[in-house]
Amino acid sequence: MESQLWIIFLIGAGTYLFRAGSLVLGSRVQWSERTKEWLSYVSPAVLGALLGPLLLLDEGQWVPIKGNIMLLAAIPTIAVAWWTRRLLLTVTAGIACFAVLYYFM
Amino acid sequence: MSRRDRVALALKDVLPIMLAYFPLSITFGVLAAASGVPWHTSIFSSIWIYSGGAQFMLISMLDTATAPTTIIATILLVNMRHILYGATMGPNLAHWREPLKWLAAVGLTDESFVVTYNRAAAGEKLAPSYYLTFALAAYGSWIAGTVVGAGIGEIVPSEAAAVLSFALPALFLALLFAGERTLPHLLAACTGAALATLAGLMNLGGIGLISGGLIGATAGQLLYRQRSRISKQAKS
Repeated sequence: MESQLWIIFLIGAGTYLFRAGSLVLGSRVQWSERTKEWLSYVSPAVLGALLGPLLLLDEGQWVPIKGNIMLLAAIPTIAVAWWTRRLLLTVTAGIACFAVLYYFM
Repeated sequence: MSRRDRVALALKDVLPIMLAYFPLSITFGVLAAASGVPWHTSIFSSIWIYSGGAQFMLISMLDTATAPTTIIATILLVNMRHILYGATMGPNLAHWREPLKWLAAVGLTDESFVVTYNRAAAGEKLAPSYYLTFALAAYGSWIAGTVVGAGIGEIVPSEAAAVLSFALPALFLALLFAGERTLPHLLAACTGAALATLAGLMNLGGIGLISGGLIGATAGQLLYRQRSRISKQAKS
């Protein structure tokens, strides 16, 4: 329990420093184009790195594609995200698809 | 524009975000309770971290008993994207008093950034009354949802909680595919996914996330640079 609070404290402090530091600095200096460019690719790379194991593995083991509900539900979720670009709608549709697969497979 | 008009405009702009945040943070509260996180800890997390993706990741990583340093390093790496937001937003707040800038940073989430930055990009001067009303309303909605979710978490049946566990991958997919989606961005995502999955198979989970993020971002940027070089050559 104690360590959970510490983890939250450090993550929150770090995140705030990213936000505040760059905002306050950003109102004074110009960042190099190259740095901004690289930073814009960090977010998709990390999202991919999070999604890969989440969708393909279960406790470090490969899940066969045929019985993989997470992966199957991801396909319509991606379609909704791609065409609507709406966060809430995508999450709701994703959970609905997952629920259908969860109960019928 | 009077101060009152700016507050009214902020409330109009922030409403869709409040509507999205509220159920999402209820889901967060419910999932946290289902994985054994005490209610006061999840509320503390919403007040102190205030970053949906990070908070969802945190409960899933606590669940798989990842080492604390790996958890913190991974999540902070994910949240490095906020540096980009701050750096991009900063010039629009250059005329603000210093303490107000530090206050504004609290509200700099993915969705708030997109909406308020679009206002600024349309040529409007961002006033503190507009921006802070916006930020406070979104923040309040996120915290209120967490309180509700943490409160009802105990009575939500385990099957419903199992279905809700897809909220996290769905949110990540939404953030990934609703954002920039050029070929370099997709390459960054695929590289990250491949490296992290490979590391997961070898039981090196945390290293996979961090190296996937760093190498994936570099791969994306390299492809972008190569493509823009080629298109420049084609033009000249």
